[in-house]
Parts: sequence; C-alpha cells; structure tokens
Amino acid sequence: MKQQNNALETQALNLYYGSTQALIEVDIQIPKNKVTALIGPSGCGKSTLLRCFNRMNDLIPDCSISGSILYHGEEITGRSTDVVELRKRIGMVFQQPNPFPKSIYENVIYGPRVHGIKDRKELDAIAEKSLKGAAIWEEVKDRLHDAARGLSGGQQQRLCIARTLSVGPDIILMDEPCSALDPIATAKIENLITELKEEYTVVIVTHNMQQAARVSDYTGLMYMGRLIEFDTTPVIFERPKEELTENYITGRFG
Amino acid sequence: MQKNRIESQTIDLFTRQNKEKTISCIWLGTALVAVITIILILGFLFKEGLPAIIEIGIPEFIFNEIWRPTSENPSYGIYSLIIGSILVTIGAIAIAVPLGVGSAIFISEVAPPQFREAVKPAIELLAGIPSVVYGFFGLIVLTNWLRILLDLSSGATWLAGSIILGIMALPTIVSISEDAISSVPKDFRSASLALGATRWQTITGVLIPSALSGITAAIILGLGRAIGETMAVLMVTGNAAVIPDPIYNVLSPIRTLTATLGIEMGEVAIGSTHYHALFGMALVLLLITLFVNLSATYILARIREGQTGSSRTPLFSHEQRKQIRSIIILSILVASGWISFQIVGFHGIAILAAILTLGYVGSRFLSRQSKEKIAFGCVTIATALVLFALVAIIFDIVSNGLPAITWEFLTESPRNLGREGGIFPAIVGTIYLVIGAIAIALPIGVGAAIYLNEYTLEGRLTRIIRAGNDLLNGTPSIVFGLFGFAFLVIFVGLGVSLLAGQITLALMVLPTIIRTSEEALKSVPDSLRHGSLALGATRWHTISKVVLPAAAPGILTGTILSIGRAAGETAPLLFTAVVFSKRFLPGTVFEPVMALPYHLFILATNVPGADTQKYGTALVLLALVTGIYAVAILMRRHAQKTVRW
Repeated sequence: MKQQNNALETQALNLYYGSTQALIEVDIQIPKNKVTALIGPSGCGKSTLLRCFNRMNDLIPDCSISGSILYHGEEITGRSTDVVELRKRIGMVFQQPNPFPKSIYENVIYGPRVHGIKDRKELDAIAEKSLKGAAIWEEVKDRLHDAARGLSGGQQQRLCIARTLSVGPDIILMDEPCSALDPIATAKIENLITELKEEYTVVIVTHNMQQAARVSDYTGLMYMGRLIEFDTTPVIFERPKEELTENYITGRFG
Repeated sequence: MQKNRIESQTIDLFTRQNKEKTISCIWLGTALVAVITIILILGFLFKEGLPAIIEIGIPEFIFNEIWRPTSENPSYGIYSLIIGSILVTIGAIAIAVPLGVGSAIFISEVAPPQFREAVKPAIELLAGIPSVVYGFFGLIVLTNWLRILLDLSSGATWLAGSIILGIMALPTIVSISEDAISSVPKDFRSASLALGATRWQTITGVLIPSALSGITAAIILGLGRAIGETMAVLMVTGNAAVIPDPIYNVLSPIRTLTATLGIEMGEVAIGSTHYHALFGMALVLLLITLFVNLSATYILARIREGQTGSSRTPLFSHEQRKQIRSIIILSILVASGWISFQIVGFHGIAILAAILTLGYVGSRFLSRQSKEKIAFGCVTIATALVLFALVAIIFDIVSNGLPAITWEFLTESPRNLGREGGIFPAIVGTIYLVIGAIAIALPIGVGAAIYLNEYTLEGRLTRIIRAGNDLLNGTPSIVFGLFGFAFLVIFVGLGVSLLAGQITLALMVLPTIIRTSEEALKSVPDSLRHGSLALGATRWHTISKVVLPAAAPGILTGTILSIGRAAGETAPLLFTAVVFSKRFLPGTVFEPVMALPYHLFILATNVPGADTQKYGTALVLLALVTGIYAVAILMRRHAQKTVRW
C-alpha cells in the first residue's frame, strides 16, 4: 500500500564516477503529487541523484551504479528498462534554460513528434495545453513561430517546462531551475511549481534554502553523497533531528 | 643631467607620435593590397575580355553552345562550358555532401572519442593534398576503373570529374561539419534525450538543425573549391566541349570553364579574338563564383538570424517551406531515378523503387530503436567509404611511388622528357616559388591583419577591406593565373619568370594569411594590451612586444597552411612561371623555373610511359605538402593545449 504513494524510491543506491563514489547508500522515498526538494552544498550529490531517476547518468561514460531505483514500484536500473519510454514518463528541466534553436512552437511539439504524433491538430492542441500548463501561453500565443531564443530567460525556462509537459510525464525533475533567473522570473516559476503538483510529482534540486522552504512539501538534505535527513519540509526547517541539518539550514556551513 | 633627460623625452615624444603615424600608414597600405588586387583583377579581366565580348556579342558568347575557337569558322560560345562547370559541381556536391555530413555525424556522435582523436587530424591532413595529385590519381586509376566497371570506351567523364571533386571536397566538409556538430551546446543534447528522444532523433531533430549554419558553411567551402578547381577536372573529365545528351548522362565527357582556360591559355596567340574570349570566360567564371559566394553569405546570415531570433519575417511562411521541401524531395527522386536508369537501365529503376519501398515500409513499421540502428549503420558506412577513398589514393601513390625514389631521382635533372633522370630542378623550383610567395605575402598579410584588428574600429573602410579580402579568397586559382599573365608577365613586363610566379602565388595565399592572422590577433585578450598600454608603452610597442608574440602560433599556423597550398598549386603558375624542362637552376628571379605540380601534370598528361617517374613525382609532392600541413596541425594542437587565457 505504501508503495502506491511513492512515485520514486531508491534502495541502497550507490553511484560511482570511475573510482570516486558520488552517492553512498541512498534510501529515499519520493511521495506522489508532492513537491520534494533536495538541498545540500555543492558537490553533495543532489543533482547526481536527480539524474539517476531518468537515467541521464547513462550519458556519462564511466558511471556505474548499484542498488535499486523503483518507479511506481518498478525497477528501472536494469538493462532491459526502456530508457526512452522512461524519460518520456519522467521529464526534466535543466539549470540553464535550454530551448532548441527553433521556433517556440517547434520547441513544444518536439517531444510529441519524437514520440510519433504527426497529426497537426493534435500537435496544436498539445502545444496550447502545455504552454498553458507552464503559464506562458498568454505571453507567446501570438508569436508561436518566432525563435525561442528571442524570449527572456524566465520565459525560456517556462518554455522548457512546457516542453517537458508536452510528452505527458507524471514526474518532473528540476535541476536548480531558477539559478540562472532574476527574482521576478524566479517567483513566477515557483508559483508554477506549486500549481504543477496538482497533476505531477515534482522533484527539485535547489541551492536556495528559502526556495525549498517556500515551494516544497518534503525536503531531503544531502551531504557528501549521503542522504542525511528526509522529512516534511516544516520538520526539516523547524525541528531537524540531525545536527548536520540544523547546521546547514542555519547557514553554519555550505 | 636631469634637464637633459627631460629634453630628450620631449623630443622622443614628438618623434614617437610621428613614428606611430607612419607605422599606422604602412599597415593601412598593406591592408589595401587585397582590395587593390581584386580591383586590378576585375579591371584586367574586363580590359582583356571586353574586346571579345563586344566582337562576339553577349548573347552569342554566353548562349551559343559551340566552342570552336581554332576552326576555319571560329565559334566562341561558352554555354556548354558553363553547363559543364555547373554539372560537375552538382555531381561533386551530390557525392560529397551525404558522405561528408554522414561521416561528420559518425565521428562526432557515434564513434568513441578515441576514434575522433585519431581520425580528425588525419582528415584535416588530407585537406592539404594538392589538386594535381587528385587529378593524377583520377587520370591513372579512377578513369580506368570506371572504364572497366561500366564498360565504356573512355572513363574520362562527368562522373569521374564529380567523383574526384567530391573526394577533394570531403576533408573540408567532414572537418568543418564535425566542428559544427560537436560545438552544439551539450544542453540541447541532454534536453532532447530527457524528453525521451533516441540518439538518432536527437541528431536529426536538434543537433543537425542547430549546426546547420556550420554545415552549410562547410558545404559552401567545398562547393567553392569544386567550382574553381582546374587541374583535377582538366585531367579526368575528357574535355569535350559538349552538353551531355541527355542532360543527365553522367557518362558523357564534359568540359568546364576552368579546364578550357587551363588548356588553351598556354597556346593562344596573344591579342587574338580567342585570347580575349578566354579572358571574357574568366570574367564569367569569376562572376559565377562571386554569385555563389554572395548567395552563400546571405543564406548563412538568414540561418543564423532564424536561430537567434530576429524581428525580420522569414523568407517563406511555414506552409510555403513545407511545399518547397516536398518539391525538392520530389525532384531529387525523379533525378536519381533518371540517373540510375541511365547507368544501369531498367534494373536501376527497379533497384531504386525497391530501396524506396523498403525505406517507406521501414519508416512506418520499424521501431525507433531499429531505425536508429539502421541510421548508425549508414553513417558508419559513409565514414568507411570516405576513409577508404582517401586511404586508397594515398596507398596507390605511396606504393607505386616508393620504388622511384632514389638518390639520383632526387638530385638529378630530368632527361628524355622526364622519363629518365630526376626531378631536382622541380623540387628546387617549388621551394624558390614558395619562399618568394611567403616572403611577399606574410608581411603584407600580417600587416593587414594588424591594421584591421589593432588600428581601426569597424567602419566603412574595414568593411571594404574585408569584402575585398573575401572576394580575393573566392577567386578561382586559374583566374589568378590569367591575371598574373596579363598583368605581371605582359603589362609589367616580367615575362614568364620566377618572380611573376612568386607574386601570383603570394596574391593567392594573401587572404588566408590575413584571415588566420586576424583570428590569432583577436584571440589575444584585451587585458594584455591594456596592461602594456597602462605602463605607457606606445601602440606599436604594445603590438610588437606583447600582442604579436602572443599571436605568433596562430599566425604561424596560417602561414604554414599557405605554404602548403602554394607548394601544391599548379593553375596560377601555368602561364606565369613554369617551364617543363630546364637543365639548370634559375640564376635570377627573371628566369622561368620548373615546379613539382606542373612537372607531374605534364608527365601525367603529355608523356606516355614514364609511370615510375610520375608516381615518384606525385609521392614527393604529396609528402612535401602533407608534411607541411602536419607541422601546422601539430603546432595548432600544441598551442591549443598549452595556451590558456
């Protein structure tokens, strides 16, 4: 029964880049339809953990893992896992807004097209729905065929979120999505994240503890490859059990 | 004592300012050389070509397809030659683009990184093989293969010309396309894969569109080399001034503008209508290359605009673009159908139809993963073909040439029309030509780069200088040859001489030196200049003591590449500097010389039965030029690894 409520779960996950270990015995349960934040100092392994969930670490040549990762109770670390299908279900938003050098419209329908949708009307509908879902429709609906690179940084990042929504994922991974944005654009993305959890499970990696406190329901603190503490966000920020967590959120290191 | 010093300082200051001004003027002068040269080239082509065009009449000259300048009733129509040039170029592009871009994809995206490390410099090295060596291989080996394989009376055909030109263009296309694809930001790759795209979908959907401007630039460079190429084409296309009948008959012999100039310029009576008609032809050739270069620049600018987002409306609307795409695909289908029918008959059509149905069925019913495997298979085969072609050429020349290399061959003069003896005067002649050319081009080129990069801001003058430089860069080498003949040999009165050849080669490599030097100067960070200027150094002091030393490796690389190019060039020397046989080394710069590329050309085309000597000469030339290129590539890699700003 418990598994039903976890979108993602890792068990004794270890990850190595060559001979250096980047994740050590990580056990984490990511609840469904909630926003989970991963915080911790640079190099603690939070982005690495995030990239395990959609197997983006496959792209790094000498990266190897042991342990297991369950997606809705299903093992996804094996060779037989269809990575392409997995990435369709688990979307990802990157640190730097990275729209393709194509038009706004082409960006949003790139995913559906890749997955074989050809019908123009269907694509139009997906584009509109995704752009609305990412709260950018009103700003771009009159210039869908303009180059995406002409948008502002914040708009580009929301376009990237729309692009992620377009393939119909149920989990969205966000890797410091606001680190390249100004405060106003950041606020817009944060509002969007809160809206997104109605339909999606969101996992967000952030450097910014206030952001974690503002947007997330659950927070995990990572340090030197280990998950130090994981609990609901109020608990982590108000009465953490671990001294390390206490020190980190009060700014004594990191 | 104290007073003395102050006085001398004021005098210093005064002379220093004058000195600065003088230096700046000198560099401006060097920067204008390229512009003046292109104006002179155009001027002389007009001056020499105009009488013929007036006498013959423009419509007759351009649209009459009979070129028979030496018959009783001479006819001076260059239409079939223009068509020949265009057809050979189209064929070369059709061969080189799929293979080149396919290999670039394989090298940057599919092959393991170690493969890239090994193959990339090798392919760059091959870009330096002189065109006369390609032509030699085409003449001796390729035309023979085609003759036997397709059962023809002669293998010297449009197809042979296109294959050789295609192979010539491959190293450039592969190398530059590969750079463009691997410099697409990693972010795009991750974003596409994170959406669940396969690697192949990522390549076709994101990487190639993002790298399109770079790939287009690569194709244009290849195209430019193909359309202006003289020697290789001259040696393999059969040179019959006819329009293929029917027009898609790739097995017909063909003759290009460049080949006509190369063949006839040396034998024409100066001042005759034929002579002037050849200059008119060179003018047409120059205008065609100019048109290609200009439209290419325009297309490139549009591609870049489309990607970075600009307010200008796109050239075609969404729907129009779709229609244009389907028209292009349809016409390619029809054309390839006809061509395969032409070569193999009805079986060709059947094979093509089978491939197409297979492709269609595949695209409908195959899974994405299987499609990816097939696509990766195709680019692997493309790479294998490219490497095979290039290795085959080198292997053929090295294995047949090595037996010819003896001490006598390298140190003696040729005897019996080059069938016996050695090639010593040709080696020395080539070295003299190259040293002279570089001695002239290097100071002018570096000076122009210094002026453009250090002494002026971007403005009208720099735009003119740059435009002149680009035009000069796009000028076919045979046009340099004609210009050298009309201006240096006749007008200035140098005669066919070492000096005329050196100057012609110098003008030809000048744009390369300017461009590479400018890039090298640009890559020196401003903080270095500011550091020196803030200490009270003059501008020239800063440039000569700080900027130039820092930019030296880049300038040197450009220079070495130019040396390689000058050493391998034949066309500009044909009418300006070379003779086939000369017992003695030139005593002064006013005497003609022998040169390796020309020696090889004459041995291959006019001297039957000197096979060992031919291959030996080809090997020496190949080794000389690729050796020079290898030094350049190694130096650049060294600089890339050690210099970090």
